[in-house]
Amino acid sequence: MIDFHPQVKQLLDGELTLADLPPELRAEGEEALRLLAAVDREPVTFPALEARVLAELRRRQGRASSLWRRLVAPREVRLRVRPWTLVPALAMAAALVVLLSRPEPTPPTATVTVRFVLFAPEAQQVALAGTFNQWDQAATPLVRTGTPGVWAATLTLPAGQHEYAFVVDGARWVADPGAPAVDDGFGRRNSVLSL
Amino acid sequence: MSGRGGATDGQVVRAILAGDTERYGELVTRYRDRYARYAARMLGSADAAEDAVQDAFVRAYDQLAQCRDPDNFVGWFFLILRNRCFAERRKSKDVAPLEAAGAVAAPERPEVPVEMAERRRALQHALLELTPEQREVFVLKHVEGLSYGEIAERLKTSVPSLKMRMHRAYDRLREQLRDQA
Amino acid sequence: MKTLCVSLLLAICSTASSAQDVTARLAGRVSPEVAALVQQLATSAAARGLPVDPLIQKAIEGSAKGVPADRVAIALRAVSGQLDAAAAALQQAGAAPDTDAIAAGAFALNAGLSDQDVTTLAQVSRPSSSVAATLRVASTLAAMGVPAAQTVALVTQVIEAGGSTAEVLALPADVMAGVSRGHGRGRDVTPAEAAAGLSRAAAARANAPGQTKPKPGKP
Repeated sequence: MIDFHPQVKQLLDGELTLADLPPELRAEGEEALRLLAAVDREPVTFPALEARVLAELRRRQGRASSLWRRLVAPREVRLRVRPWTLVPALAMAAALVVLLSRPEPTPPTATVTVRFVLFAPEAQQVALAGTFNQWDQAATPLVRTGTPGVWAATLTLPAGQHEYAFVVDGARWVADPGAPAVDDGFGRRNSVLSL
Repeated sequence: MSGRGGATDGQVVRAILAGDTERYGELVTRYRDRYARYAARMLGSADAAEDAVQDAFVRAYDQLAQCRDPDNFVGWFFLILRNRCFAERRKSKDVAPLEAAGAVAAPERPEVPVEMAERRRALQHALLELTPEQREVFVLKHVEGLSYGEIAERLKTSVPSLKMRMHRAYDRLREQLRDQA
Repeated sequence: MKTLCVSLLLAICSTASSAQDVTARLAGRVSPEVAALVQQLATSAAARGLPVDPLIQKAIEGSAKGVPADRVAIALRAVSGQLDAAAAALQQAGAAPDTDAIAAGAFALNAGLSDQDVTTLAQVSRPSSSVAATLRVASTLAAMGVPAAQTVALVTQVIEAGGSTAEVLALPADVMAGVSRGHGRGRDVTPAEAAAGLSRAAAARANAPGQTKPKPGKP
């Protein structure tokens, strides 16, 4: 591991210019400037933030007039399940279900786009089976995402109630420990998704 | 700090504490994006940043009575957000920037050439390998454009200690980028 | 005589077509043994005005999971029993139940609610919200771990406070939001606790006609 020369660090700090560096440090200086050029300074903005904060505060404060008022904008529900808080035996499978583009209220014929995510770093293949695909694991494989160990699939489902489970490596049926679960009648549990 | 209509942060905070709670929205609007970029570069993901900023605003509301200097609400808010960013546990050392488990990936920016996008990604990845303190001084200086003096004032520390932290950060970044290449 | 013949014919036709539906849906997915049992249970269920779909789904699920036929048979009989019990519980609430509500009731029983719970929820729902929707929400809450009594109380409170179907439907997400906010703050909030919080708020709303101004900064 080679540290930057102290003068190059001064260059990085903006106290020296490239021209101030001796010739033998020019290349290192240019490397340092390339590093700085890769800094992402693009502004970041959160247009929906006020509404989310105020809705959260109102909900928590229990104000009579807006206790049950929902946002008009499409609603995102993120279920954050931290893997290390789960029962160790099930720690391999932390499923996050993100509901996208949900219109409010949901008329009977509406569909909702749902993204199923499973953290299963040891798996070779992961599929989703449930009432919406006749429990056919071949119908809905999950694909690896850019994050190691994380698998995902996005489906458009009709509004209503659905039961599902993940199938790992074709044989291991895993319910989502973070989602509501019911007895499947066969000694296992199914996860429930209400849209 | 004053905003539209001339109401200072202090005036708004005092009004809220007196019972006019809806006015908290003014503070949220005023500072909604102020530290959005800082949070995004600290956490490596715009989605995580939005959650962190939202949580910080909610937490600030909860603790509003403990804000010692209502005229400097934003400075106090920054510290709450900072704590939240520092506390964020990274699930994996290999988290790809702009993508966390369960989050929708940020949209591509077509005006940024692929090569530059890749170098940005690599640097963000390397930044996530630093300690939060090292990452923060780098972000405040090179992303937010603060001087060492301004950073020292905000973080209640000295310029020499900041420089030491930053210089270690430079070396670690160099090492990370070389390892990635 | 003519009317009797026609209605018999209709009855036979409808049974025949639904028998075909069942066969079509099971084809290639379940063993002949299981298919025969489903056929039998489905015909009997349809004749009693019960939904057939839950039986078909359970059979397909069992086969997909590689469960032996005798185990599937046990599960199918359990579903059949739940459908009957749900229909009875809904009738207790005083209306001719539709198949949607019966299916939701059976699901609620499976999720751990009692017959009495189903009756209570159905009574509270009519006429302001959909019985099936109410039962599905209650099932989801129970499946999340909110105790049955608390589930029934929360749903009842929301409906009686004038909540619309949309508001009832939002309850599982509200409870989940309470749980995940707790996690975000490093606290373990159980679904039961989150539900209790919502109940207190609903009760406060029902009891306080004026607007209260809550003070921020309280622990």
